[in-house]
Order: sequence, then structure tokens, then C-alpha cells
Amino acid sequence: MTKVVVMDKDESILACIVGPTGPEQRRLANKVMEEALQQAGLSFDEIDYVIATGYGRINVPFADRQITELTCHARGVASFFPTVRTAIDIGGQDAKGLKINDGKLVDFVMNDKCAAGTGRFLEVMADTLGLKLENFGSTSLKSTSKVKISSTCTIFAQQEVISRLSEGASLEDILAGLHDAIAGRVARMVQRLKVEPDVVLTGGVAKNIGVVKAMKENLGCEVLVPKDPLLSGAIGAAILGKELTLKALAKGEPVLKKERRLEEVTFFK
Amino acid sequence: MAEESKGLTRAKEIYQDRSRRAKELKAQGKKIVGYTCIYSPLEMMTALDLVSYRVFGDMREPLTEADRGLPAAFCPIMRSCLDLGLKGRYDFLDGMVTAHACDPQEKTVHVWECLITHSYFHFIDIPGTLHEGAQEYFKGQLTDLKKTLESFTGKELSTEKLKRAIEAHNQQRALVRELYDLRKPDPPLISGTETLQVIKALMSIPVEEGSELLRQVISEVRERKDGPQKQAARLLVWGSTIDDTSLVGMIEDIGANVVMDDHCGGSRAYRTDVKLTEDPLDGLAYYYLVELVPPRTFREAVLGETRKDYVADLESRFSYLKDYAKGWNVNGVILQSVRYCDPHAFEVQGVEDYLNGLGFPNTYLEHDYSEGSLAPLRTRVQAFLEMIC
Repeated sequence: MTKVVVMDKDESILACIVGPTGPEQRRLANKVMEEALQQAGLSFDEIDYVIATGYGRINVPFADRQITELTCHARGVASFFPTVRTAIDIGGQDAKGLKINDGKLVDFVMNDKCAAGTGRFLEVMADTLGLKLENFGSTSLKSTSKVKISSTCTIFAQQEVISRLSEGASLEDILAGLHDAIAGRVARMVQRLKVEPDVVLTGGVAKNIGVVKAMKENLGCEVLVPKDPLLSGAIGAAILGKELTLKALAKGEPVLKKERRLEEVTFFK
Repeated sequence: MAEESKGLTRAKEIYQDRSRRAKELKAQGKKIVGYTCIYSPLEMMTALDLVSYRVFGDMREPLTEADRGLPAAFCPIMRSCLDLGLKGRYDFLDGMVTAHACDPQEKTVHVWECLITHSYFHFIDIPGTLHEGAQEYFKGQLTDLKKTLESFTGKELSTEKLKRAIEAHNQQRALVRELYDLRKPDPPLISGTETLQVIKALMSIPVEEGSELLRQVISEVRERKDGPQKQAARLLVWGSTIDDTSLVGMIEDIGANVVMDDHCGGSRAYRTDVKLTEDPLDGLAYYYLVELVPPRTFREAVLGETRKDYVADLESRFSYLKDYAKGWNVNGVILQSVRYCDPHAFEVQGVEDYLNGLGFPNTYLEHDYSEGSLAPLRTRVQAFLEMIC
């Protein structure tokens, strides 16, 4: 997903865009930006600082700086929950665990090699079961005896789901089992960081109440979820942009080091 | 013909076309002996006028043949070595001296012996601990190697020849340490990428030629004005063999100087000298068993102690890393290993604890020994730099 957040110096959000990235949009970051500017009622010149983050951060030629999603997520989550010590982000591509101290990233772990333990795992299952992903959470809460599903491999888990279905397991119990599998796998990865509360869960998967419940059970502690868990990285990037701008102004240095133009990325041509 | 290149340019040329010199020497009648890791005592080969040549994998070469001999979930470096062997890349070797540095290596050596024919083959057993008797046993292993080398070459490995070879290799070790000292200033005078090229070149040519190359590189690097730029991060890179510049190149591209390393494609073969003992095999046995630091060997602060002092054990195993981190003034450590490298993967917890105790930020990267698998690591390295700078 591509997200844009335009923020003013009081950290009020002036524009917010969330949409699928897709293969073509990757080179059209400028179009998404124009849409955001229109929503905010601003011209590009009125933007003091642009930070690009995430896997696509190299595809934003008009960014003043690229910062990794790990640093941006940490900053964003700390802005919603200042006492956060552990943040877990489960997106469509990867899962991350962040250790945060005083709003600053101090350690991290990441799974970016395997679909199991990411949002993709649930997307594949939604396809297998012919269900809408949005309904996974509420349906799974009706489970009375969750089915055990192995979490090591998406494809094996998919085969397991099919065989459990044929054995007559209920959808509710299968979904609860899937949520437990993904939460368990990510929890074990994050335990490497020695999880401390407050724990915050973000990323698209955090919208799934079933995974949130399973994560609480796996970690044995409360798990907080921000209002819009998809936006923590973009909001963190915007806050870091504000901070960099204010820092430069305080030092009397120019905010922008090079000229920038709102245009599409050129290296694909 | 163009003038023969020198120093860093020459090191890079050898790095890119490693076997050229060995093949030239073979054409002149020399015998070339391959070795798979730094546990093979090169001194004994040098003493018999054999050219030792390190067998490396190639992460840029797709694996197409390795499955004939080795399972898929297995050390990718050993898989790559065998893959290259099966493709004929090591056909010019007259023999191999291998060692039980790790289990994958031991297994690969057997498979290699089955599938690839050389006229000479020797496997050295290495004890897994430093308990009493281990060194004596290991000296026996070196005595066996001496015998097979003598019968392979038809020459006697005299004490005098061996001492001279040890001196030549010690001199090379001292030169490598001199080169590494040039990474202490800020900015360092030589990059991590260039250092890797030099070390890999050393492992591809005879010891005297390697030492001459080092002398050229050292004087060139001291004089040059186009060395690395100052960066906010000065990093130490630890872990399994690095035999390609792509990982360190990526780290340096993102904006850091790799100023020190601890892996067997870097400083590990050169950290200390072999002691010249009356029977040179004693000095060699001590050096290869005790002084080499790879994690294959079980080490503890007090041999055989049953009530363990974890902090003292960490100190006895990793104090040299403290010297590296402080001596080279690093502000972060990258721990890396290829996937399925059990010796290094199991060591990570201890190294992390030790570095955390000293206050050196660190991060652990695992990769698949292929260029493509390095790309996702970029984000982690960049985030780590954002964290420490």
C-alpha cells in the first residue's frame, strides 16, 4: 500500500492518502503526491520537507531524504503511545519488531524472507477459504476450539487448512488457528528483543481483531492498537520531517540542500 | 604490453581473476594445492614449494550442479564451492588439504573426493575443545599431514625449511596487521571493500608474492589522496566467510566505513603469529588449534569448570573483539552469517551479549550467499545506521 501524510508544525494531519501501490504506481509517486496536495489545498512549494520511507523510498525522486520504515514506524508509534517500549508491525510484505526507548529506535528484528508471519499469509488463506479478509477477525472470535495450524510455511499451512476443512473443522476454529499461527510466529521473532510493555501492534494486520487477541495470548500482556494502524510509518516520517526542518531553522541552516521537482521517477525509462 | 599493475589495482585484478597466477605457476611446473579454510597449515605447503590456493565459492554464480552432491538445506558456501568444482573451475588443482573446521566442510570434502579427482587429498581432524591432550592429538594430525605431503612431493619436509616457511607467513601476517592499522584513522586510509580484495588476492598467490603485494598496497595507501570519505559510522563486521565485496560494498554505499572485520576472508588468518618452537610442529599445532578464533572450537575461561561464570567465559572467548572495537574506534558492529552456518549462528547470542555488555550497538544479518539475497538487507543496515548515528 502507498500512503501519504501531509502534516503541519502542530502535527495536525492536513491530508492522508492510502491506496494500493501496484506495479505501475511505483513510478508514479508524483501523482499520489499531487492528490495529497490537492486534498490539503497546498502547492508543492509550500511543503517544507519531504521524507520517503518503506520499500518504495528509492522511487520518490522529489523526496528530500529517505529514512527507513523502521525508524519512521518507531517515531510514529511513539507519537500515539509515548510510553511504548515494543512495537510490532505486521504488513503485507514483512513483519518487524521494534524496541523503542524515549521515542527512539534502539533495536529491531525483521522477517522479510518468508510469507508466513506476514499479511500475505492471511491473504492467501482468504483466497483458499473464499472469505473476505475484513471478516476474518470477527468470525474468528466465535471460535470455541481453535485448530492448530503450523506456522512454518504458507503453502504447507494452506494444505493443512484444506485437510482440516475436509475433516469438518468449523471456519471459526480454522480462522482462530490461523490467527494464532501468525501471531505465534511473529511473537517468537519479537521475543528476541525481550518484549517489554507497552506493546503496540501496527500494520494492516493490526486491523484484524483476531490477530490482536492471539498476539495478547502469545505475549501474555496487553497489546495496544492505534486508531489507524496503517499510517504509523507515514505519520512518523512526517514528524521526522518536521523535526529536521525545525532543527535546520534553529541552527539558521537552509532546510533544503538541493533543488527538488515534483516529477516521476526517471530510472525506469 | 602494458606495464604490470601494482598495489590496489593489482589486488583488484587478482580478486577478479583469481586463478590466473596459479595457472601460470602450474604451467611453469609448480604444484597447486587447494584448501577450503584457514585451518589448513599453509606453512607446511610453502615449505615444500607447493602453491597453496584457497577454494572459495562464488555468490555471483547460480548453483546448477551442487544438488548432485549436497542437500539443499546446507551451507551455501560449501554448496557453491562444490558447484564450482563440478563445473571444472578447480580442475587446475593438483591436490587438496582440507580440515574439519565445520561439519558441512567435512561432509563436502567427502563428496568432493567422490566426484572430483585430484592426485593428492588430505583431511585434517581438529579437536572440538582445548582440553588437555587436544594439542598433542592435533600435533599428531599435523605429523600425518607432513608424511602425506612428503610422499606427494617426493621431498623431505625438513625442520629448517618449515621454520623458514613459518617466518615467511609470519611476515605476511605482520604486513596484514600493518595494513589493518591504516584503517584506524578517521576516515580510514583504505576501505573495507578494498581490504577484502587484498585479502582474497593474498589467498590466491604464493606467500612471497602476497607479501610484496602488501608492501605495495601499504605504501600506496599511505600516500594517496583519494581514500574513503569520513562517515558517521565506523563499523566492525563479524561472522562467516566473506569472499565477495558485495555485502561490505553495500554497507559502505549506504554511508558507513567498515574499518575492521572478524571473519576468515579478512583478519582471522593474520591476527597473531605462529610461535617459532624447537619442533616447529608444536608452534603450528598451538597456532591452528588455540590461536585461531572461529567459533568451531568450544572455549571456556577455566577448562573443565562445572560451575560456569558466563561473563568470564564471554571475556575469554571474545576479548579480542573488544580490542578490535576499541582499537579501531567503532560505533557499531554488524554480525552476519550465511544461512545454515551453524557455528556462527550459535555464536551470535554470546557475541551479542558480550557486545551489549561493552555498550557496542550491534545487529545480526543472515543471508543466502547470493547477490539477490543481499538487497533486502539494505533496509536493515540503513535502519541500523539511523539508530547509531
